[in-house]
Amino acid sequence: MIWLTWRQFRVQALTAAAALAAFAILLAATGPHLASLYAASGITGCHGGTCGVAASDFLSRLAVTGPYPIVYLLGIGLILIAPAIVGIFWGAPLIARELETRTFTLAWNQSITRTRWLVVKLTLTGLAAMAVTEALSLIYAWWADPIGKAIGLLGLGNGSGHPWEGQFSSVVFATHGITPLGYAAFAFTLGTATGALIRRTVPAMAVTLVIFAAAQVAMPLGLRPHLIPPDRTIATIESAGLDFGNLTATVVPGQPGAWLISSGAINAAGQPVSDLPAACQAAFSGLKPTSPGACLESHGFREVITYEPASRYWPLQGIETGIFLALALALAGFCFWRLSRRRT
Amino acid sequence: MRAVIETDGLGKRYRRRWALTDCTLSVPAGHVVGLVGPNGAGKTTLLSLVTGLLAPDAGTIEVLGGTPGAGQAQLARVGFLAQDAPVYARLSVADHLKLGARLNPGWDAELARGRVDRLDLDPGQKAGTLSGGQRAQLALTLAVAKRPELLVLDEPVASLDPLARREFLADLMEAVAEHELSVVLSSHLVADLERVCDYLIVLVGSRVRVAGPVDELLAAHHLLTGPRRDPATLPDGLEVISASHTDVQTTLLARTSGPVLDPAWTVSEVALEDLVLAYMSQATGRRRRDHHHLEVQK
Repeated sequence: MIWLTWRQFRVQALTAAAALAAFAILLAATGPHLASLYAASGITGCHGGTCGVAASDFLSRLAVTGPYPIVYLLGIGLILIAPAIVGIFWGAPLIARELETRTFTLAWNQSITRTRWLVVKLTLTGLAAMAVTEALSLIYAWWADPIGKAIGLLGLGNGSGHPWEGQFSSVVFATHGITPLGYAAFAFTLGTATGALIRRTVPAMAVTLVIFAAAQVAMPLGLRPHLIPPDRTIATIESAGLDFGNLTATVVPGQPGAWLISSGAINAAGQPVSDLPAACQAAFSGLKPTSPGACLESHGFREVITYEPASRYWPLQGIETGIFLALALALAGFCFWRLSRRRT
Repeated sequence: MRAVIETDGLGKRYRRRWALTDCTLSVPAGHVVGLVGPNGAGKTTLLSLVTGLLAPDAGTIEVLGGTPGAGQAQLARVGFLAQDAPVYARLSVADHLKLGARLNPGWDAELARGRVDRLDLDPGQKAGTLSGGQRAQLALTLAVAKRPELLVLDEPVASLDPLARREFLADLMEAVAEHELSVVLSSHLVADLERVCDYLIVLVGSRVRVAGPVDELLAAHHLLTGPRRDPATLPDGLEVISASHTDVQTTLLARTSGPVLDPAWTVSEVALEDLVLAYMSQATGRRRRDHHHLEVQK
């Protein structure tokens, strides 16, 4: 059965290996120079305040140097769509094509139960899907390591110093660490289950893409901020680096690398406010010598911030990956149920 | 003799519609069984139940004394050639043989290679480019080389041209004789089966109409020709399967339990094809009458 699985899968497997190799070559060609730029930036061996300046210089120089911004975004994009491709081209046809071409009558009448047939197919192809996606993520993490370090020195959790993003930004979180494993397993079993349900390859591919894309959007926007109840702090206007346009914070004071989830200003009475007090309008228009921040603080304004500290990066990674792995197991279970002799 | 297929009240339902109803059969071993019926009669459903591709919704079925499809050992004992002989289009002939060898503990590699050589199949050719006849031969090779005790074939010759049809059946019979297989094969054409079958099951409208060894069926059915008369006045022991009348004459195809003694009747033997057609039209005629009856009620 292992032989048959490989024989039916080898074209896809070799295609994936070729794509992985091409990506690795691209990163290997640009990675050493990126590392040398980092070494020359003075970040290594910096002290205190000079570190932030050096990191900022490095990142802004990098943003206009050679192919780095393109490779950076390309890598993130590739790791984001790899699970979708796996779900569509490996998962969806796995059962649907056998049903569509009626070759299941051949496969399931050899001296092997269809349960075993499915166990081997799901396990081998599923592990390959996870391995390819995680391999992409790991070589990319090696390449982007200097950028990640510099962003870390700036204390940006989910903030962005274009085009570089912090570790908690939606796309970086889902493409680094162990989450690619979860996304790959989920997309693959989603494709397989959809194929088993719809029994036609092309519609199953389309449905897989739609559901997976929805899950990829819903996770960072709706679910991830609630995986661990966020911490809450009240900070001064100055320390929160207030964005005066909409009165939101740009950093979490005393929490470098934290994920800033939401923020808003409150007045002296503790009530949320969305408009500037009339008394400070003058400070904003530059007519008064006091700074806008100082004016707001003198009126008792504070900033309420909810956030996840940087130390929760790995717990969040673990929970998110666990959710997708659990979904993958449930979808695999559905495939077995769907293929039981009573239902085909 | 031991039964290869034993069913009792077997039924299978697709959503609301019963594809097979109340099927009770006992097919002894060592036969080539023809399963005949019009398209949509439930032949594929019955064969899928025999191979274990489907599980029944009513009644019981035992094949070679075991539950169909239950476990590797049972699967090894039954070979199946599905309708239109599906094969993996992108795998070569040699790949298919390797597949058979890998997935069947009882695989007879010599037999498989011998058949492929004899049938002039190119081992390197992709199965998707084989002709219909060659594809059927390849699928049959897979089914035979796993050395099953029972070989099940669903409409194996329906898509073949007359020459390929004859070759396929001759080849099948050779394999059957050589390996002492029991065989069940289905067709909607009696002519296909007449030459090879010694046991017949007629399936119409999801029900078994008649089943038995061909010689017994032929011995028990007769064609009676005589002066026209009302079928209600017929003697006991005559079960009329079909009747046709002209102004002066009545022709009956009837199942008889003993010799027909009434000298008014001319008794002649019945051909297998006529017998099957009589059962088929009996069933459809009955259905038409039911339909008519319903309309009257409305």
